[in-house]
Amino acid sequence: MRKTLFFLLLLVTMPLQAIQPGKGLTEVPGHPQAPDFTLQDIDGNIHRLADYRGKALIVNFWATWCPPCRAEMPSMERAWKKERSNGIVILAINVGEDEDTIFQFTADYPVTFPLLMDQDSEVVGPWGVRGLPTTYVVDPAGRIVYRAIGGREWDDPELLDKVRALLPRQEAAKQ
Amino acid sequence: MEVGPSTGLKTWEWRNQGISLRLVQRLPDQTRAYLLARGFPAPVADEVARACLFGSMFRNDGRKPLDFDLNDWRVLHDGQVGLMMTRERWDERLAAREVPKTGRIAFHWSLLPTRQHFEPGDYNWGMTSYGLPPGSRFDLELNLTVGGEPLRAVIPGLECAPEKLPEN
Repeated sequence: MRKTLFFLLLLVTMPLQAIQPGKGLTEVPGHPQAPDFTLQDIDGNIHRLADYRGKALIVNFWATWCPPCRAEMPSMERAWKKERSNGIVILAINVGEDEDTIFQFTADYPVTFPLLMDQDSEVVGPWGVRGLPTTYVVDPAGRIVYRAIGGREWDDPELLDKVRALLPRQEAAKQ
Repeated sequence: MEVGPSTGLKTWEWRNQGISLRLVQRLPDQTRAYLLARGFPAPVADEVARACLFGSMFRNDGRKPLDFDLNDWRVLHDGQVGLMMTRERWDERLAAREVPKTGRIAFHWSLLPTRQHFEPGDYNWGMTSYGLPPGSRFDLELNLTVGGEPLRAVIPGLECAPEKLPEN
């Protein structure tokens, strides 16, 4: 019995530092138009993808039970704090969980970018996601330019340079 | 194969051309706890938990793109050739069972994708399931496409986690 409890504890406390992040962003051929969505965040605000035209978007699909998703959240928060005033927006779309579950998650991972809910997993399919986390970078015209499968260090300067480069010159010049 | 010094769980790792697949035994109790917490009825959670699940980390740190389809992989057990229990096979098997939608979605997404394309730098974590009883031994035949070329490999001597690890 004690061993069973040990393993249950192990399951929830799996050390995230053991997760080696992936590398780089893959350019998506043809830069297809990103499928539109209208989703609610955990604070009740409605977010429509089309409302973010003119911004460079990082759209992340994730779930609380997914260790690599949890591991990349702190770097995403650092990137958000650094870049939110420069025209870069981060939207993290949770797949299949309710707001109570996500709210509890934010006690351990206090992030300030919008956490959207795709409870019926209807949005994740049209985006072509096969595994979590998967993240897309969308340009100011609403086209998918890059994709990353698996977690990344989102405040990596090399990676953020690629996102910044999508912004119109005057936005990029502010930095 | 290595054994976790504190957990007693066995791990196998296969590497080739910068691609790696790491398979870590999952005790049935680990999977039961995960599914019960997501509303699975106990008999259904038990059925899934006893179907030989591994925690699976599949990475492409090589220089070429990698494609896989788990339908092309083979489970070699006791002289028989079987198929893996993919997301789609589990969806079909559980279709008539009383499992809440949130639980179905979580289980579906927590399994390794059936088909995937990894560019260099990409990876997925997920459970893989082999449909064998606890403690079974088997070989796993991988069939991949690396840089457009087929690659076949066998990971020998995998062991499904036993129902319980021996008490120390």
